[in-house]
Amino acid sequence: MQTPSFKGTHLFDRLCWGKENLEGVQSDYRVVYEDSVDECAKILVPDPNWMACALQGGILPPVWVYHELAKDEAQPDFKKHTRGYLLHQTEPVPAMTEEEAIEYLIMKDCPQSVWTNWDSGNKPKMVICKKQQLPQTREWRNSWRISDELAA
Amino acid sequence: MAGKIVADTLEHSTAGSIATNYVVDGTAKAWLNLNGTGTIATRDSFNVSGVTDNGTGNYTTSFTTSFNNANYSHTHTNITSSGQFGLTTNTNFSQATGSIQQRNGYWSGVSSDNGSSGDVTYFYIQEFGDLA
Repeated sequence: MQTPSFKGTHLFDRLCWGKENLEGVQSDYRVVYEDSVDECAKILVPDPNWMACALQGGILPPVWVYHELAKDEAQPDFKKHTRGYLLHQTEPVPAMTEEEAIEYLIMKDCPQSVWTNWDSGNKPKMVICKKQQLPQTREWRNSWRISDELAA
Repeated sequence: MAGKIVADTLEHSTAGSIATNYVVDGTAKAWLNLNGTGTIATRDSFNVSGVTDNGTGNYTTSFTTSFNNANYSHTHTNITSSGQFGLTTNTNFSQATGSIQQRNGYWSGVSSDNGSSGDVTYFYIQEFGDLA
């Protein structure tokens, strides 16, 4: 199915089109990351409807738009967004592969401190894996860490 | 978009009229039905890009279309594997325009929150507010 020309269309309306016309895609990919030494590993799970939009193309805004909004929100005097138009009026990104979509999602939903220097310490702060590689039960969930064996 | 109708008011022949901004403002802007057990998975959703499993009973939901400010309103409930109904407590709670983090506490409906948190079979959220 061809994505309509969504230039200038509100992102919420684009998502409505995706919800109505696209089947959700349950990705097997998971992103495991550690952003604090005091906390257990976190696991980012892509949303199936979002993944369908990413694979379809022409719906999602470029990821830099979210970074610009995050900068605005980090200002001490932030009250509300005044540059929301970036979400709606910026040319949507073309179709991505599942792997490219995961990279996009990491840059959108993981802390920047994790993905900018994920491999700079004694062991990786972030690992992309398949869900089958994760523990299948949640026993001791709050103690899960990325294995030291992954260090190069 | 094809099929677009631009109108400020909807009027019924006998029941009166309603301004369309009531419809726009009163519509849920994001919702999620999540299986929070095992390797957590979204059953269905709208306007959600991903869910982060932060630990036992602790999830962050990220939105595709951000909210305009952090004053949006949310309803979160959950059901445990034993059928226990829960309200999501606000311990370890954080809220930004692009995501919300919540921890599930059990609440039996008779006794109050017992202070523990746990994984839930059904985790529901509905978000209302102005979009960016």
